[in-house]
Amino acid sequence: MAVDTDTTTVDARSRLRQVPVQELVLPIVIIALIIVGAIIRPGIFLTSDNLLNVLTQASITGIIAIGMTFVIATGGIDLSVGSALAAASIAGGLLMPFGSWMFMLGALAMALLIGAINGAAIVWGKVVPFIATLAMLTIARGLALWMAERTPISLIDLDILQWFGSGRVLGIPIPALIFVIVSIVGWVVLNRTTFGRRAVAVGGNRSAARIAGIRPGRVIFAVYVLTGLCVGISAILLSGRLASASPVVGNLVELDAIAAVVIGGTALTGGKATVTGTFFGVITFGLIFNLLNLLNMPTEIQGIVKGLLILVAVALQRRD
Amino acid sequence: MSDAASPLLEVRGLVKEYPGVRALGGVDLTVTSGQVHCLIGQNGAGKSTLIKCVSGLVEPTAGEVRFEGEPLPVGDPNASIARGIATIYQELDLVPHLSVAQNVFLGHEHKRGPLLNRAAMHRETRALFARLGDEGIPPTAEVSTLRPAQQQVVSMARALSHSAKLLILDEPSAVLDDVEVEALFGVVRRLAAEGVGVIWISHRLGEVGELGDVVTVLKEGRTVATELPPDTPVDTLIRHMVGGRMEALFPDRGPFREATVLDVRGLTRAPDVFDASFTLREGEILGLAGLVGSGRTELLRLVYGLDPAQSGEVEVGGRRLPPARPDLAIRAGLGLAPEERKSEGLWLDWSMVRNTSIADLSRFRRGPFTDLAGERRDATRHLRSLNTQPDAPERAARLFSGGNQQKAVLARWLLRSCRVLLLDEPTRGVDVGARSEIYRVIADLAANGIGIVMVSSELAELLGFCHRVLVLREGRIVDELDGATSTEEDVLRSAVPVHHITKAG
Repeated sequence: MAVDTDTTTVDARSRLRQVPVQELVLPIVIIALIIVGAIIRPGIFLTSDNLLNVLTQASITGIIAIGMTFVIATGGIDLSVGSALAAASIAGGLLMPFGSWMFMLGALAMALLIGAINGAAIVWGKVVPFIATLAMLTIARGLALWMAERTPISLIDLDILQWFGSGRVLGIPIPALIFVIVSIVGWVVLNRTTFGRRAVAVGGNRSAARIAGIRPGRVIFAVYVLTGLCVGISAILLSGRLASASPVVGNLVELDAIAAVVIGGTALTGGKATVTGTFFGVITFGLIFNLLNLLNMPTEIQGIVKGLLILVAVALQRRD
Repeated sequence: MSDAASPLLEVRGLVKEYPGVRALGGVDLTVTSGQVHCLIGQNGAGKSTLIKCVSGLVEPTAGEVRFEGEPLPVGDPNASIARGIATIYQELDLVPHLSVAQNVFLGHEHKRGPLLNRAAMHRETRALFARLGDEGIPPTAEVSTLRPAQQQVVSMARALSHSAKLLILDEPSAVLDDVEVEALFGVVRRLAAEGVGVIWISHRLGEVGELGDVVTVLKEGRTVATELPPDTPVDTLIRHMVGGRMEALFPDRGPFREATVLDVRGLTRAPDVFDASFTLREGEILGLAGLVGSGRTELLRLVYGLDPAQSGEVEVGGRRLPPARPDLAIRAGLGLAPEERKSEGLWLDWSMVRNTSIADLSRFRRGPFTDLAGERRDATRHLRSLNTQPDAPERAARLFSGGNQQKAVLARWLLRSCRVLLLDEPTRGVDVGARSEIYRVIADLAANGIGIVMVSSELAELLGFCHRVLVLREGRIVDELDGATSTEEDVLRSAVPVHHITKAG
């Protein structure tokens, strides 16, 4: 037998691991939550309106979490996404007089710029991702407050923008629809393109990636720009829904996004990533908050529940 | 010490089963005090599982392990250590950024009250090194700054600090060059003379006769021969290991072509490589010999562009490579199989297919997407052409033996149709049976016109089938030998720094 039996311990273990725990457990959790919701809030929870509401509520964080999945796949982290969300909203808001499309252009440009600066600081400045994006977290928030002169910008005249935030297509809220589309595109990019493969390759073994002819710096730069793109999309949807651009939005969005990615099963060390898991992670958090809201639980409780969930989910995943 | 002939370790009928796999199917082994017991066998023969059962890392399914006449508690590494069994694994388990003394006493530090007693630990560390006959290592040095051979000595000092009665060394010579191995032999003989029993696991059959008192051969989880005398011919040992059949170890040297495929001129990167120049023809196998630290690996990295050269240039097929751009070196036709296969060559959790296709993903691009079926088909074809076993291309690379992992790296460059392959220790951690297969693969690649540059610490390997051998010493190419007519002595004479031979230098 030519298999190296010296590694049979690993063999047995990895056979267990082949069951994609996070991709099975989370759907079960989601179904359980729906059943619980249907029982304790009959006629309210299990309505298409409420469930679409869950998806819509989750979409802002969810879209960012898809981008974050790529960053974490390379072994990085992006702490600046919440602040970048505010900065992008304000950048768009400043272009408000020129209409909805200019708002979107401004928001996307700012978000992409922030992503590019993150990537440049990490790749060429050789600053570790945690520090580079922590710095950007305070820079982008400061920038948002300064540009807005501390006051929100009303977007009440931008009809097209508000349609993106609150409109529906075939009865489905547009943010929810875009979240689903971003998730599908994210899945395809991660699993069916050379870029996705390279991102995971760089996160899994950077020196092997270099020897195989991958330029890790380019890939890493690209994932931060990609996350910037996701932040820009979220900024458009959020501002459209609120009909205003506020410099204080997006607080702690980075942690919610990271939490969704991690409970989804993407390894914080890089090299192992799942967009499906992230999607389910986002939905799980969304359902829990919806339930707690329906039960009129105070937000403090929500924070405690979220934290406990992260601990339990990640501890369960590490059992093998 | 006790009576030299009393059995120190007795293993009887040891069985270890994993789900679906029987790693050990009844192993017997007896080691006496003061004996150097060589344990050999192919990868997967069960050597590592056996020693893990003895050291307590793995709990056997059946069978008995007795130590000094008493049964050893199974699955309890601390009990094994407490009884005097010390194991030094293939991958050294030293903490790189701690000092030598801190490593030696890790986990059982000397204390004065609540504080560490550094002076006592340094003193004892020095005494342990004196016992090992290697007093050149300062106890305060950081382990990461030591050469692999010195790190091995530190591991042994740690074992001795637990007053080991049985020392198990898992492939200690794999990372050492011939001179260092010789020094290690001295240390082991010294310990054996003190009455310590030693189990020495090795792939290098030549060592067995030189060092061992008795030899045990494992094959497919069973003891197939034991208590063999050390002067057992290597041919006989190999016959036991492979089960009667023996292949010619080295393939014939094929002819190479006139065209120069690689031209290296004056490559320099202080302090590792100075003014290295050589050419390589299509189909030629060029060996790079030298002691560990002579700059062989560094030279390959420079050629490949992994490290930037301070001066000098590399041409592939007449085209000059831009500096420090491995991606462009690959595009020009270079490929590298690195020395640290697991940490630099592979994604262990990835399938063999993915490991094979990674250097040429663009080939499978269909519009914006990757053609996964095509990827699988082409990668599988190359893996099969190298006879990768088992034939399970979707399995994780982690589950393959060293030799088959190496084939995935080679298949990667076949898929990429490279023109020059740089191989750094291509047979490290590869068992004897699989080695001759790797040699054949390399010779086949050369026969198809690929130029090969091969670094190896094993002189027999370099002289066995390289056309030419360049010898490096202290970062310079100091000699060029004809592979077919030169001897190991010729290589060593050039490779060993002068001051090692005469004190005059």
